[in-house]
Amino acid sequence: MFEAQEINAEHKDLIHDVAYDFYGERMATCSSDQYVKVWDQTSDGKWNLTSSWKAHSGSVWKVTWAHPEFGQVLATCSFDRTAAVWEELVGETPGPGERGTRHWVRRTNLVDSRTSVTDVKFGPRTQGLQLATCSADGIIRIYEAPDVMNLSQWTLQHEIQCKLSCSCLSWNPSLSKNHPLMLAVGSDDNNPSNGGKIFIYEYSDNIRRWMKTETISSVTEAVHDISFSPNLGRSFHLLAVATKDLRILSLSPIADNANVQSGLYKLDIQTAAQFDDHGCMVWRVCWNITGTILASSGDDGCVRMFKMNCINAWKPVAVLKGDGSHVANEGHRSSVCSAASLPTPPVAAVVSQTARYIKLGTISQSREVPWH
Amino acid sequence: MATFSVVQEGPVNALALNRDNTQVAIGGRNVFKVYAIEEEQFKEVYNLRSSKHLNLSFSCNDISWSSTDDNYLATAATNGHVCVWNLTKMGKAMQEQVYQEHKRTVNKVNFHSSEPNRLISGSQDGTMKYFDIRCKTSVATFVSNTESVRDVQFSPHTPHMFAAVSENGSIQLWDIRRPDRCQQQFTAHSGPVFACDWHPEMTWLATASRDKTIKVWDLGNKPALESTIHTIASIGHVKWRPLRKYHIASCALVVDCSINVWDIRRPYIPFAAFNEHKDVATGVVWRGDPQVFLSSSRDCTVFQHAFKDASRPASKANPQGMCLNNSGEILYASRVSVNANLLYKMTGLISVRKSSSATLNTSDQFHQASSTIHQFKTQLSQEPKCFYSLALNYVLSGRTLSEMCEHNATVAQEHGKTYVSTVWRILKTIYGDEYNQNSISLYGSKNNDSLSHNNITMDPSTDTDKQSKGGDTPAAQFSGGDEETEAEDQNDGVGFTSYSNFKLGMPRGDFFFGDNELDIELDGLNTVPDIHNGIRNTNHIIEPDWTLPNEAFNIRHEIQNHSPPPEQFPNQNSPDTNDEAPLPPDESILGFLTIANVPMRFDWNPSKIVISALKYHATLGDVQTAACILIVLGERRKLLTGLDEVTQEHWLLGYIELLGRYRLWNIATQVINLSWLPSVMQLNQQSTRINTNCGNCSKPLQRAGWLCDRCHASEYALCSVCHQVVKGLYAWCQGCSHGGHLAHMQKWMSQYKTCPTGCGHLCEYT
Repeated sequence: MFEAQEINAEHKDLIHDVAYDFYGERMATCSSDQYVKVWDQTSDGKWNLTSSWKAHSGSVWKVTWAHPEFGQVLATCSFDRTAAVWEELVGETPGPGERGTRHWVRRTNLVDSRTSVTDVKFGPRTQGLQLATCSADGIIRIYEAPDVMNLSQWTLQHEIQCKLSCSCLSWNPSLSKNHPLMLAVGSDDNNPSNGGKIFIYEYSDNIRRWMKTETISSVTEAVHDISFSPNLGRSFHLLAVATKDLRILSLSPIADNANVQSGLYKLDIQTAAQFDDHGCMVWRVCWNITGTILASSGDDGCVRMFKMNCINAWKPVAVLKGDGSHVANEGHRSSVCSAASLPTPPVAAVVSQTARYIKLGTISQSREVPWH
Repeated sequence: MATFSVVQEGPVNALALNRDNTQVAIGGRNVFKVYAIEEEQFKEVYNLRSSKHLNLSFSCNDISWSSTDDNYLATAATNGHVCVWNLTKMGKAMQEQVYQEHKRTVNKVNFHSSEPNRLISGSQDGTMKYFDIRCKTSVATFVSNTESVRDVQFSPHTPHMFAAVSENGSIQLWDIRRPDRCQQQFTAHSGPVFACDWHPEMTWLATASRDKTIKVWDLGNKPALESTIHTIASIGHVKWRPLRKYHIASCALVVDCSINVWDIRRPYIPFAAFNEHKDVATGVVWRGDPQVFLSSSRDCTVFQHAFKDASRPASKANPQGMCLNNSGEILYASRVSVNANLLYKMTGLISVRKSSSATLNTSDQFHQASSTIHQFKTQLSQEPKCFYSLALNYVLSGRTLSEMCEHNATVAQEHGKTYVSTVWRILKTIYGDEYNQNSISLYGSKNNDSLSHNNITMDPSTDTDKQSKGGDTPAAQFSGGDEETEAEDQNDGVGFTSYSNFKLGMPRGDFFFGDNELDIELDGLNTVPDIHNGIRNTNHIIEPDWTLPNEAFNIRHEIQNHSPPPEQFPNQNSPDTNDEAPLPPDESILGFLTIANVPMRFDWNPSKIVISALKYHATLGDVQTAACILIVLGERRKLLTGLDEVTQEHWLLGYIELLGRYRLWNIATQVINLSWLPSVMQLNQQSTRINTNCGNCSKPLQRAGWLCDRCHASEYALCSVCHQVVKGLYAWCQGCSHGGHLAHMQKWMSQYKTCPTGCGHLCEYT
């Protein structure tokens, strides 16, 4: 039901992040080997390595593309406590139909953090060039390039103290004027007694400051990845969370409950779905561009895909095994196959799987009926 | 072993352990003490700065404890003195020897590990001196011919050999017996080398430099670079971990306050990190045990660190990466799982334990880090293709509303989007051209042009009124019912449902819904699941239809006060799924016509239903339908009074954004041009705008890019390749201003360099 193509990235250590560009035709990879590589897809679907350079003096945790209207621009962040912005320069075209030599130059190095910078993300395009970073000491920084033509000048606009070590952040990409700029930050602090591990910050135009509007108390385990769903027309937001399981949270602004000073609305936060299909740690979450399909990956080596069938009703729709091998009974009996794909499922996982059957029953019962 | 510390009155520059690792001597500018290391704390044994006559030789750059005689310490003083201390003596007599031989500060002193009384020092003046502590003067002087020597270390393997590292980046190997020249010298780093350390078992020397690297040299034969560790800051000290062949501890000179332990087989990320210090660490000594070490720091503390308290940066590192692109492909990078086969394949530096992979300890797993990337193409990627094709084929302007709705409905149907298609048809019915758009919708007029949709639509709704007595059913339920099936349809196109159906041998389009499932989104609206379940409900619906005409009048009067009719619309779609519902059109028309005599009462405003339908599509991620319907509605969208402009803008921007992702610039531009919201219309003006003039009369072209209002000719808008009028993207060379269809120009320029008009210009397109 799916094709898998293996790409030999030739990184010398773990790859920590992969990122498609806006059009999905280029990809960037980053690794602990301190290199960043950029790949271009040929018309027959093969990936060609077009650039590879040592970007940092520590592990490169994340790589992310800016919107193409700002040029071919990447941002990276690293264990070496810096975040960097890179721009691709194309040399002279040698002849018609041929491409000039390309190389990436570092436009800026953001050195404000005193600990490992764990995530970096460009803000929504409508805001111009904004960059948010978060670091292991729990400081979120918002940078801005006042002149989008000059990528070497970035000013630190805001510094937000978050009490816990941050591991990931996500901008809310909503295009609606009704939605203020919003950031979600996750913490990998693994002490449940430190409370909620996801913080929602919103920018108030009235007081020109970022305010913490919510701490999501339902997530108390270490959070490894969070991602706002693309919001092309919803009145509410969806936030996917990778923690010990996969959560989908819906955040709806409560219309009649605005803070007088900041003009920000309170959010009504509900858990729209919770999936334990991986049976182990979930590392990454990612949305498709319309925000209808969520993919998650976990320690079980599988990519699992979930789809919203009606409002806030989510179902697993596919399981892709990381090594490209086919997983039997894909989708419908994901809980079974996850157990099968683990060589020795720990007892705890088995217990949680039985629990999951009960939980999922309310959602996917009817489709499962012919199988049992 | 526990982690604990002691605070000093000043920064600590160096520390040294005695022979059996029970006591530690620490030294700094204002500190010179000996502590006994107990179970949970340090206990002061000596304070060598307690005498009244302090001078500069009491402040140490470095400190060394004799490995043969527990009573002897040596210090390197900032004033160039090398001092030898006898701990058995008291007061001033403790300072047994003071060698005032170096001209500048002494960076390093080291006792020989096996020969008693032998001491070597390295100084900023570029020399090293060899002492016998029983003599008043040095035994030998070694001139490095470099500006300064930063570290000297006796080899543990060859008793007469020592290594010295210099600020010019070189390493020198000396024989104690040959002070005249060094045995070997080579450049190791591109910056000053601050420290070196011999491996306790191998003939390896680790060197640390300002160039942010730690290098391991095999000095067995010709010096060979064994491995390079890239660190985030200049490294001031390195120390091999005992009993762990590949592990080495380092501390930075600046920036980084943590002490890192590296596995040289994975030279990118520390195996363990100790973050207790608040300022940079100045020295590291292992207590003979791989699990415990001591460190001194500029933050005035001395720590004992237990390995169990280390943080493991690699364990926090994300081992996976994943990304989806706009054609639904997935990139997935994941750690290669460690298995026995792979282990045996590994060659080179890595020595493989023959045991099975299950018994691998953490340090073995640590260095075998590599990832693979897979790209998946799934069936789910049909959705983007569908979007792309719909975007190309939808007609958004230039025809009557009915025609556009009908066309778009057909297009949607062709793509398997049955329910999107139905929505278009309903729109045609509600807002079609035959319908008088200036008055509020009247039932009779609508019936004239439409099929049974609205008739039936209305009937059950009134019926529900009766039944629920205007109960407050949420407005979204109309769409809930309709779009529920629509959502399933999307599913169908996207593969999941069809896949299951396929497997089950069921025909496409047959859906079975559990009650639970529908309950979730329909919030207890009981009738709708019935609809989907087929026959059972048919009677249920028909029956009220027949009874309607009699009762309609009364109910309407009542309802008007507390429940607007559209809210009852959930059943509106029932005819869609149950076309067999037999309703004679004549009768209903008759019924409505009579009602129509009292117009205000029969005003039925479909806007709420349309709005909730659009909202439902948008919520499900199908902003294309929502935006296109808004555009096609044209002026009639003003009837949608409940839909605020912010939401409309959100949908349009969402659609434009998506079109951009697929490089559908033409359609995006069309959407922008058709837009009625100033903020969206301005999108075209924010980017670069090029005004064109007629090539004949120079009058600015306003209405269209290809037709001049004055000379009514379009000859200057011809494509220079195909000589047809260009009505879409016009690409031209800024040099000679000739151009034409984008595709034609691309094709031409891939073969030729000159302008297709023959003007001879070497055109440049970027």
